[in-house]
Amino acid sequence: MGALMVIFSLQTKQRRKMTDSVEDELELSAARHRPEALEQLEAQTRFSRKELQILYRGFKNECPSGVVNEDTFKEIYSQFFPQGDASTYAHFLFDAFDTDHNGSVSFEDFVMGLSILLRGTVQEKLNWAFNLYDINKDGYITKEEMLDIIKSIYDMMGKCTYPTLKEETPRQHVEIFFQKMDKNRDGVVTIDEFIDCCQNDENIMKSMQLFENVI
Amino acid sequence: MAAGVAAWLPFARAAAIGWMPVASAPMPPPPREKRRGQDGLIILNVSGTRFQTWRNTLERYPDTLLGSTERDFFFHEETNEYFFDRDPDIFRHILNFYRTGKLHYPRHECISAYDEELAFFGIIPEIIGDCCYEEYKDRRRENTERIQDDEENENNKDLVLPELSFRESMWRAFENPHTSTMALVFYYVTGFFIAVSVMANVVETVPCSSGPNRAKEVSCGERYALAFFCLDTACVMIFTVEYLLRLIAAPSRYKFVKSVMSIIDVVAIMPYYIGLVMTDNEDVSGAFVTLRVFRVFRIFKFSRHSAGLRILGYTLKSCASELGFLLFSLTMAIIIFATVMFYAEKSSSASKFTSIPAAFWYTIVTMTTLGYGDMVPKTIMGKIFGSVCSLSGVLVIALPVPVIVSNFSRIYHQSQRAEKRRAQKKTRLARIRATKSGGANAYLQYKRNGMLADAEEEASKEAGKSLVCKINPTFETQHHHLLHCLEKTTNHEFVDEQTYETNCMEVSLTKPSMSRSSSLSSSPHGLSSCCTRRNKRKSFSVSNSNMVGGRRGSIQELSTIQIRERPMSNSRSSLNAKFEETLPLNSEEQSYITAAVISMPTPPVTTPEGGDSASSPDFLQSNIVRVSAL
Repeated sequence: MGALMVIFSLQTKQRRKMTDSVEDELELSAARHRPEALEQLEAQTRFSRKELQILYRGFKNECPSGVVNEDTFKEIYSQFFPQGDASTYAHFLFDAFDTDHNGSVSFEDFVMGLSILLRGTVQEKLNWAFNLYDINKDGYITKEEMLDIIKSIYDMMGKCTYPTLKEETPRQHVEIFFQKMDKNRDGVVTIDEFIDCCQNDENIMKSMQLFENVI
Repeated sequence: MAAGVAAWLPFARAAAIGWMPVASAPMPPPPREKRRGQDGLIILNVSGTRFQTWRNTLERYPDTLLGSTERDFFFHEETNEYFFDRDPDIFRHILNFYRTGKLHYPRHECISAYDEELAFFGIIPEIIGDCCYEEYKDRRRENTERIQDDEENENNKDLVLPELSFRESMWRAFENPHTSTMALVFYYVTGFFIAVSVMANVVETVPCSSGPNRAKEVSCGERYALAFFCLDTACVMIFTVEYLLRLIAAPSRYKFVKSVMSIIDVVAIMPYYIGLVMTDNEDVSGAFVTLRVFRVFRIFKFSRHSAGLRILGYTLKSCASELGFLLFSLTMAIIIFATVMFYAEKSSSASKFTSIPAAFWYTIVTMTTLGYGDMVPKTIMGKIFGSVCSLSGVLVIALPVPVIVSNFSRIYHQSQRAEKRRAQKKTRLARIRATKSGGANAYLQYKRNGMLADAEEEASKEAGKSLVCKINPTFETQHHHLLHCLEKTTNHEFVDEQTYETNCMEVSLTKPSMSRSSSLSSSPHGLSSCCTRRNKRKSFSVSNSNMVGGRRGSIQELSTIQIRERPMSNSRSSLNAKFEETLPLNSEEQSYITAAVISMPTPPVTTPEGGDSASSPDFLQSNIVRVSAL
């Protein structure tokens, strides 16, 4: 009798697993996304129709299902940096683009982000950069968060660099950054300190205008 | 890098804004954007089938026919389209390559037609995607083999052999009997003698009619002892000569001696020699008789003459585990049934089942359904178990046999496929590595060439990294600018593997003297960089030796240029440009330009070739330090 029960429970578990897998498959194939109409996107972003068309074609080519999940994102971004490991920085980027935090970047998120980066005012760009650095999105950049970001940037360089990367290089970089940005020496950088300091730095201002005409 | 990802380059560049606030150095200026023409549709008419695509799609690969101006030759004014008189079915795949960046090979197409189309449109077949690459390579190999066979059959008569040494030609004659008539003759003669020897062994045991004055019949071997002995001697001599010749001609004697065929040869001829050596002693005659049994192994020499026999032997060897299992299960069944039969028949009188081992014989004969009838159960229990034994015998024997047969074919095909995959794995890995390093190397090459040069010139200067089609030069420059921004952000530079290795070594070597140099150069790592370039100098120190004398005077100039330039800008590009102006070197290798420059301050005390020795490190270091800004 007990043996029968065991066999029966095994069978049901198997069947449930099978249905689960079928459902999973349905879910995966149903993860499609159609973006809003072209007019709406045109109104919401600062891109022209033609630019949106070009952007969408490229986006859909690489992600036919219409959404990018984090792994695809990391893979695409890593192809631009063959010598290093771009996955950590891509993870931070993904979080910055995925504004509604649903685990995938749709075309709207993508285009909104790009609109800020390429056509936004300096204020908006700095806001975006602050959002990127603030990993837990609490409004303050701590030294640990900055260290993570800087380490991920150095990871993209890879191993074969000149001069050779040392252990304390990212930490030193973070110290320099905090010395510059943290005016009231309270150990965190707020958005106002950040924007103030960047606006007073000529180099940063100049480099913000660098990618104006990328599309 | 797939051209499809090129569409994401604007995104990657925009995301670089995230580096700006933490950058430790100012960013390089962006590359000049050539104003591209309007992105319009192009109509491609291939033998009546119209294909349409964007102009940009085609221009992703500028060194193919469709991506370059070569397509203008096919422009048809009347219909305002590009007309190609080629196969539209194959063209579909070529156009898909432009769209997706992956080239696929359609299995139903003829390989030579496909190759022709690829050659016409200027696409290298090596970029075929991994999904279709194996199939393509297989078909290609079959095709080339077929062509080779045809050519061989044509040229077989007047084939001019390269000058093989006598030994090599002998070995070739042994291995391939079809190469020359002598080899063929040898092949048939040995085959004949093997057959004769085996037949003699068989016939000499047949009882011949005895003479009138003999009581019992004798075998032919005893009657015609001398004749058989002469025949045996002749055969063994031929075999011995053959074995020695093979041993001499073998390219690797040790391997030959270890091989199975040579062991068979030895076993076939040893009994004769042992028989010659041994006297007609009573004690050893028993052993002598045993040895004669080994003469039957001569029949295995036929495996040189038959490929099928060789394949059978190989598959038996590889199926050893399955055969072992069959044997084991049979043994189990035999022991079980023999025990049962013994105890069942114990009660019957005068039963032949005297012991369990005696019952083994009955069990084997019954299970293999032979049923000699020399041992028969008499009790009822014995008969019942006997029938069960014969029924199960059919199952136990018949069941593993198809398994073994299917294993044969599976293992055989598996080994074939494994061989194929092993051969292709190396090329596949090499391809992946080449494309990966190609991307990285392209950037390093670009840096060394000086980033101020125009995009088109860069693309043309790149030397043979064309395992992948060259991609859009605009894309290249933008990508290089992006990598340059990353370098500026982190204040470190990309270098290639060798430089990195030598850097590691040099840093450990020159650590104590680095403190001296810090006063002169602002970069504390300058020493290690120079030492690496010094190492690179080894390869062409001869060609640059003539520069040592003439350029001594400009050392001072160089160092002043360095020190002057330092405070103004950190960008290496301007320094590079300066160098290229002041020192017009005719460099055959672009990559060694900077290294050549460093070789200049070699002091005259050391010979130019020996300049890379650490003989006078102090002097070298002080000079090198000044030029260290590179």
